[in-house]
Amino acid sequence: MMKNNLPETDYELEIPAQAIQTDEMTLNMGPQHPSTHGVLRVILKTDGEIVTKATPFIGYLHRCFEKHAENVSWVQVIPYTDRMDYLASMNMNHGYAIALERMMGLQVNERAEHIRVIVAELNRIASHLVALGTYGLDIGAFTPFLYTFRERERILDLFELISGARLLYNFIWVGGVAYDAPQGWREKVLEFCDYFEPKIKEYNDILTYNKIFIERTANVGVIPADLAINYALSGPTLRASGVKYDLRRDDPYSIYDRFDFKVCIGQGQVGTVGDSWDRYIVRVDEMVESNKIIRQAAQAMPEGDALETVPKNVKVPEGEYYMRTETPRGELGYFIVSDGKKNPVRVKVRSPAFVNLSVLPAIAPGTMVADLVAIVGSLDIVLGEIDR
Amino acid sequence: MYFKNIYEAVWTILIGMGVTFRHLFTRSVTLQYPHERDVLPERSRQKLHVNIDDCIGCLQCERACPVSCISIETIKAGKDEDLGATSNGQKKRLHVTKFNIDMAKCCYCADCVFPCPTECITMTPDFEFATYDRKDLMFRFSTYTREQVKTLKLREAEERKAKESARPAAPKNPESSN
Repeated sequence: MMKNNLPETDYELEIPAQAIQTDEMTLNMGPQHPSTHGVLRVILKTDGEIVTKATPFIGYLHRCFEKHAENVSWVQVIPYTDRMDYLASMNMNHGYAIALERMMGLQVNERAEHIRVIVAELNRIASHLVALGTYGLDIGAFTPFLYTFRERERILDLFELISGARLLYNFIWVGGVAYDAPQGWREKVLEFCDYFEPKIKEYNDILTYNKIFIERTANVGVIPADLAINYALSGPTLRASGVKYDLRRDDPYSIYDRFDFKVCIGQGQVGTVGDSWDRYIVRVDEMVESNKIIRQAAQAMPEGDALETVPKNVKVPEGEYYMRTETPRGELGYFIVSDGKKNPVRVKVRSPAFVNLSVLPAIAPGTMVADLVAIVGSLDIVLGEIDR
Repeated sequence: MYFKNIYEAVWTILIGMGVTFRHLFTRSVTLQYPHERDVLPERSRQKLHVNIDDCIGCLQCERACPVSCISIETIKAGKDEDLGATSNGQKKRLHVTKFNIDMAKCCYCADCVFPCPTECITMTPDFEFATYDRKDLMFRFSTYTREQVKTLKLREAEERKAKESARPAAPKNPESSN
């Protein structure tokens, strides 16, 4: 085998044994590629237009979250968790806060719990809206992107009202929330629920049941249920394969056990169970369910002081804890080790998008290069969380 | 099947076009930014502002900052010096000779705002402070001039010297604990 004169690397860039081979081609996709949703680099081996091997390379957005967390105090980690999954910062805060509360044995105020659930679910909708819009953009539909961002803007306005920030909130704190809901915020949330419900039909009309969109996504990148479980997928990516697994229902945290919602799974309506279209429709259905949860939580929100249970000094007793929560992308786990001092000893994050991306080499072979864009888009990855 | 596909493609596109057509008659959701402005809510977290008259130099904000973008230097006031009080009645005992906030480093988490005992550091809704040079994002809030700081430092050094020479006689200084 002839080798090129490049330094030894893990990935194969060698010249094939036969000196002349016209078909096999190595294609570098990313890190600056509009449809990789950030800085993902995929090295493709292609046989003409067909992908034979896809190897994702990550690390272009690595910011040492876990090492940073060891050097700042318990509370100062929260702004860093914001920056992992920047499309769902509230959910990132939520997981960390719950982990610390369970370690400290802290009971959170009822009103704060309701506010937390509302903002987390609102952020889930916002994140799914971005997923929908950019997925349409990947496929070539520009208009739905504008419509989804219009609705997302209203959610961000609600966040700005309650926390003051639009993207990186630092809002859910250990033991409660940073600010109580201002006057009239609850009514605005309910107003948004009413506003948002009919919009789902709009997305379905313009994108979901569009024949061209279905042709591009149905039967593309099929993940069977056993493959999904073997690769430890989670979130909508797993549920699209027909596995009914949602941590909000199966391992309830916060006050999710009080609300009535259904776990949406892919049914293979237009193609096979677990194809890209199913992953898309699961997100659409989930937004409807999130909307239901928000409405119930906003109606049940009690009066009181949301900041009542926020401790002045966060003192975490010695020990270890693993806490998992359901973010828009799947199961987010925080493994936290404490030695009872000021800083965490270790904060390990099990990030859902990282695990979901790992299935790409398994499903990419045999698809067209253009379909790979559809597959990566349907996995809904956020590179900030993959690289941390 | 072939014709059914064509029919479906055309029909679903027409449905989508209907949605976009209806949007022609709805109100615009965008703002022509420099000419029209949105009113930002009170809690909006943009530029940090320090009311330096109220600052007592307790360094709580500096300690709370996760990215260390605040740097404060203080010099103790003399025995017979009166620096006045803050607006909520706390007595000021330190000269805040340096209070710099590097907005280029700031991560807008507002962690510095909460521990402040006199509520002098706040986040304001002012977001238009883009500059051509990164150095211009360093905001200096202290009102002390360079000469004033120099004299204060000289005086502090002298006091320390005096204290050190007096130490064998009085190991514990009652004034140092406040």
